[in-house]
Amino acid sequence: MLIDLGIAFGRVAFVMLFVLNVAALLGWVERKQSAIMQDRIGANRASIFGFRVLGLFHPLADTLKMLTKEDFRPARADRLLFDLAPAVSVFFALVAFASIPFGDTLRVAGRVVPLQAVTLNVGVLYVLAMLSLGVYGVMMAGWSSANNYALLGGQRAAALMISAEIAIGASIMGVVMIHGSLNLMDIVRGQGYLLWGWVPAWGIITQPLAFILFVTAGIAATKRIPFDMPEGESEIIGYFVEYSGMKFGMFLMTDMVETIVLAGLSTSLFLGGWQIPYLFAEGFHFPWGAGIALPPLLVTLLQVSAFVGKVAAVIFVLMLIRWTLPRFRYDQAMRLGWLGLFPLAIANIVLTGLVLAAWGNR
Amino acid sequence: MSPMNLRQRFYLVEVLTGLWLTAAHFFRNMGRHTARAFGRKGTSGAVTIQYPEERRPYSPRLRSLHRLVRREDGSPRCVACMMCETVCPAHCIYIVADEHPNPEIEKVPRRFDIDLGKCVFCGYCVEACPEDAIRMDTGILEFSSYSRGGMIYSKDMLLSFEPADASGRPRSPIPLPADRRA
Amino acid sequence: MPKLTVNGKGVEVPAGTNLIEAARTVGVEVPHYCYHPGLSIAGQCRLCMVDIEKTPRPSIACNTVAADGMVVQTETERVRETRKSMMEFHLINHPLDCPVCDQAGECWLQIYYMKHGLYDPRMKDEKVHKPKAVPLGPHVILDAERCILCSRCVRFCDEITHTGELGIFERGDHSEIGLFPGRELDNKYSANVVDICPVGALTDRDFRFQVRVWYLDTAKSICPGCARGCNIEVHVNRRRPHHAEGRRVARLKPRFNAEVNKWWLCDAGRYGFGFVDAAERLLMPARRQGGTSTEATWDEAIAAVAGALRRLTPDQMGIIASPKMSNEDLFALRRLIDLCGVRHVAGQVPPRVPGDEDDFLIRADKNPNSRGAELLGLGGDARTVIEAAGRRRLKLLWIFGHDLLASALPEPDVLEALRVVDTVVFTGSNANWTSAHSHWVLPAAAWVEREGTYTSFEGRVQRFRQAIEPLGQSLAEWEIVTRILAPLGEAPSATRAEHWFRQLAASVPAFAGLSYQLIGDSGRPLAEAART
Repeated sequence: MLIDLGIAFGRVAFVMLFVLNVAALLGWVERKQSAIMQDRIGANRASIFGFRVLGLFHPLADTLKMLTKEDFRPARADRLLFDLAPAVSVFFALVAFASIPFGDTLRVAGRVVPLQAVTLNVGVLYVLAMLSLGVYGVMMAGWSSANNYALLGGQRAAALMISAEIAIGASIMGVVMIHGSLNLMDIVRGQGYLLWGWVPAWGIITQPLAFILFVTAGIAATKRIPFDMPEGESEIIGYFVEYSGMKFGMFLMTDMVETIVLAGLSTSLFLGGWQIPYLFAEGFHFPWGAGIALPPLLVTLLQVSAFVGKVAAVIFVLMLIRWTLPRFRYDQAMRLGWLGLFPLAIANIVLTGLVLAAWGNR
Repeated sequence: MSPMNLRQRFYLVEVLTGLWLTAAHFFRNMGRHTARAFGRKGTSGAVTIQYPEERRPYSPRLRSLHRLVRREDGSPRCVACMMCETVCPAHCIYIVADEHPNPEIEKVPRRFDIDLGKCVFCGYCVEACPEDAIRMDTGILEFSSYSRGGMIYSKDMLLSFEPADASGRPRSPIPLPADRRA
Repeated sequence: MPKLTVNGKGVEVPAGTNLIEAARTVGVEVPHYCYHPGLSIAGQCRLCMVDIEKTPRPSIACNTVAADGMVVQTETERVRETRKSMMEFHLINHPLDCPVCDQAGECWLQIYYMKHGLYDPRMKDEKVHKPKAVPLGPHVILDAERCILCSRCVRFCDEITHTGELGIFERGDHSEIGLFPGRELDNKYSANVVDICPVGALTDRDFRFQVRVWYLDTAKSICPGCARGCNIEVHVNRRRPHHAEGRRVARLKPRFNAEVNKWWLCDAGRYGFGFVDAAERLLMPARRQGGTSTEATWDEAIAAVAGALRRLTPDQMGIIASPKMSNEDLFALRRLIDLCGVRHVAGQVPPRVPGDEDDFLIRADKNPNSRGAELLGLGGDARTVIEAAGRRRLKLLWIFGHDLLASALPEPDVLEALRVVDTVVFTGSNANWTSAHSHWVLPAAAWVEREGTYTSFEGRVQRFRQAIEPLGQSLAEWEIVTRILAPLGEAPSATRAEHWFRQLAASVPAFAGLSYQLIGDSGRPLAEAART
C-alpha cells in the first residue's frame, strides 16, 4: 500500500517537477533563443558572486522580483475573481500534462508502473478538457479587472480558444481513428510499429495534415504570438493589464506551461512519444536484421530521454515560430480557425476514414 | 502593393521560408558562439555592443554634460550676462550675478546652476555665450540621480569638469551621487 | 504757425518747434542722443541729421527751428550714410561689453546700431581706456568708457536741479564725464541721469546686476511717495524669481506726464518700493491673544470684525483711515462707516518728522491720496480718535496702515489707547509697532499688487495698475471692506476696484463725471478743480 502510494507520488512528482522546471527555464530559452536568432547576445547580466552562467540566473532574479513587487489590485476589481484568475489559469495548464506518457512501463517492486502521472483511457480528451478550462482563468481576469481593455482581452481569448479547440479536436480525430483508442499510452505504443517494415508509424507520417493543423491550432490555444490577440501588447495590453507581481508572473507561467503541454501532446500524438525507431523492450532491432540487446532499465532511460528530447525539439520550433511570425489580426485568426483549420480537419477525418476503410478491407 | 499570388496567399510556404531564415540565423550564430567559447577566433555571433564595457566612439560634435570654462587663474570665464539663461528653451539655467573686483571684468556669477532634469541638450547656451564660457564637451553622459535635487549641478561642479579626451571619453570622474557609486 | 512737410507729410507746428519734435508729430522718429525735450539743445551727437530742401548739406534737426515752407527729408540715402558714419564715430572707443552692461536691451547705441549702423568696424588701434565702475553718488555709477559724451547728464544737473555736480573733462577722445572735485552726485533727483543717459555710462546702483531688463514686465502706475502723484512705470520681474534676491519689483521709472512730473522722478520716490517685497509683509490674517499671535482664515477674521461692528454702538467704534489708501478703498470704507454710523473717524496721522519739500516735485505731505481722503471726509486728525479711546469710550479701533507709535502722537496716549480698547484691528501691507499691538491683523495688498486711483494735491485723479499678484493671502483694502460689508447686510456688488469708483463718481460731487476710461493713463482733474 505504502509502496503504491510512493509510486503514485513519484509519478506525479516527476511530471510536476519536469513541467515546472522546464517552464521556468523557458523564460531563459525564450530570451536567449530570440537573441541568437536576432544576432544579439541576450540577457546575461544577473550574477551570483560574479558568475553569470549565460544568464541562467535571470529566471531566478525575475521570480524574486515578481514575488517582492507590489501586488496591485484596481479599486473596482472583483476581489475574489481577480485573485482566483491567475491560479485557475496556471492550475489547469499544470494538470493538463498529467496523462501524457513520458516512457513505457517500469518494473518497481514487482509492480508494472506506466510512466505517466495518471493513466486514463480518455487521456486525449482529458488534456483537451484541461486546456479548455484554462481559458476560464483568462476570462475571469478580463472580467474582474474592471478595465475595458482587460475585458476585450478576455473576450478575444475566449473566442480564440473556441475556434482553436474545435480545430484541435477535429485534427486529433484522425490519429484516434488510426489507433482506435483515446488512451495516450495506447496511441504512443501504436506508433511503435513499422510501416512496410522500416518506416516508424509516427503520427507525422500517417497524419501529416493533422499534424500541421494540430500545431497551428495548438499555438492558438497557447495564445502566444502569432495568435496573441488576447494580449495584443501594442494595442490593448490584454486581460492581464491590471495584474502585477507574481499574479502577473503566473499568467506568464501559464503560457510557458501550455507551450510544454502542447509540445508534449504533439510529441505523443505525432512524433512517437517516447518511442525510438527500432528500439523495443529488449533492445534495438534494425530492419536489416542486426540488433543490440539492452537491459530493460537502460531501455526505459533511453525512452524517457527520447521523450524529453522530442519535447525540447518541438519547443524549439514553437519558439522559432513565436519569434518569426507577426501577429494575426483578430479577423484573420478567426477566419483561419473557422474557414481554414476546421474544414481541413473535417476533410482529414473523411480522408482517414476512406483510407482506413480501404486498408482494412485488404 | 501588388496583390499576393497563390503561393503567398497559401501562407504555409511563406511561413516556412521565414522560419528557415530565422533558424539559419540561429544555427549560424550558435555555431559562432560555440566556436568562440572553445577559443576559436572568428566572427562574433552578435552584432550588439556590450554598453558599459564596450562603447562606440563619440562624435566630436556630441553635446554632453555642460562645463564652465575657467580662466588661467581658475575663476570662471562667465560674466553672468544671462544670454544662455535667456536663450534656454527649457529655463533650466539659474544665474545670479555678482560684482567682480576687477572693473575690467566687472561681472561674475555668484550662482550658476543647471537643472539637468529640465535641460533638453539643445546646445543653445553654448551658441549664445559671448565669452566661450560654457561648453558641452565633457563626454559625460551618465549622470542620473534618484532625486530631482541630484540633477541640479552647481557652479563649482560645472567648473570642475575637464573636456573629453581625443576619443571622446570623459576625463573627469562621472558625477554620480554618493549612494550610486560602485 | 509755420507749415512744413516732413517726408512728404504736411504738418503745422507752433512757432519755435524744432525739427525733431515737428517730425514726431507726424510719426517720424529722428534718431538722436544728445537732444532731450526737457533740456537745452547741445548739438553734440550730430546723429539727428536731416535733409532740408535748398540746404547744401544735411543739418541737425534738434537745433533747426521749423519754418514755413520747409521740406524735410529724414530717410534719404545721404541722411542714412551720414547716420552710419556718425554711429561709427560714436563707437570708435566704445567697448564691446554689452553682455555685462546693465543698459543692454534698452541701449540706444544697440538700437540705432541695429537700425542704422550695421557696419564692419574699421577701428584697428587700441581703444582709449577710461575709468570703469566708478560710483558717482549713492544711486549712480559711471562707466566712462561707454559714455558717448552727449552731455545730457551735465545739462540735467545744471538746468533741472541747478546743482552742477557733473562736467566733461580732458580733451579730444580722452574727454570724459566726471564730478567736479569734492562733489558727489547726491542731489534729490540724481537717478534721473540714469534714465536720460542713452547708453550704459550711467547706471543704477540699486538695480545693478539684479535683473536683465528683458526679463521685466511693466505696468503703468503712480508713485505713492508723496502728494505730487508722479506718473511712473513699475518694472517687475515675474518670470525669473531667482534674480534680485526674489524681489519682484525691480525698479520704478518715471513716466512722462506733461501736467505732473514731465520726465522726472525724485530719488525718494524711485527707491521707495522696498516695502513691497520686505520680510515684514503681512501674509495671513492673524489674531493676537494673550501676547501670542496665531494665523487665522479670512472667514474667521471677517466674522470677528463684522461681529464687533454689528454689536457695538456708533460711539464705541473708531476708525483711522489712511491717505495712503486709494479713492476706492476710502469710498468703500466710507460706505461701511455710514452703514454702522461709526462716530470716531479720522485719516491723518501727523508724522513725527515733518516731510521735506522743494519747489520742484517733492511735497511735504508724504501721502499720495490726502486730497481724496479729505473729499471723502476721512481727512480728520487721528488725535481725536486716540483721545476718545483713552477716555475708554471705544470698544473697537480699526487702524489702516499707520504706525501710530512712530508718529507725532504722544506715545503714552497711543499705548494707553491700544491697551484699553477691546478689539484693535490693523489693516496694512507691512508689520509695524501698531500691528504688533493689534488683536486682529488683516493683510493688505501693496499698491503694485492691485488697481486703484489716487487724487494728487492738485486735485488730479490718476490710475495705478496691478503689476504683480498680491503676496500671501493679502487683499486690497476695498476688497477687505467689501467682504466685511457682506455680513452687515450690504450685498457685495464690487468685484473690481472700478466698481467702487463708479459708485464714488455717482455719489461724490467732486468726482462726478470721472471714469477709469476718462482718467486713462495721464489722469484727469477733479470736477471742482477743473472749474477753478
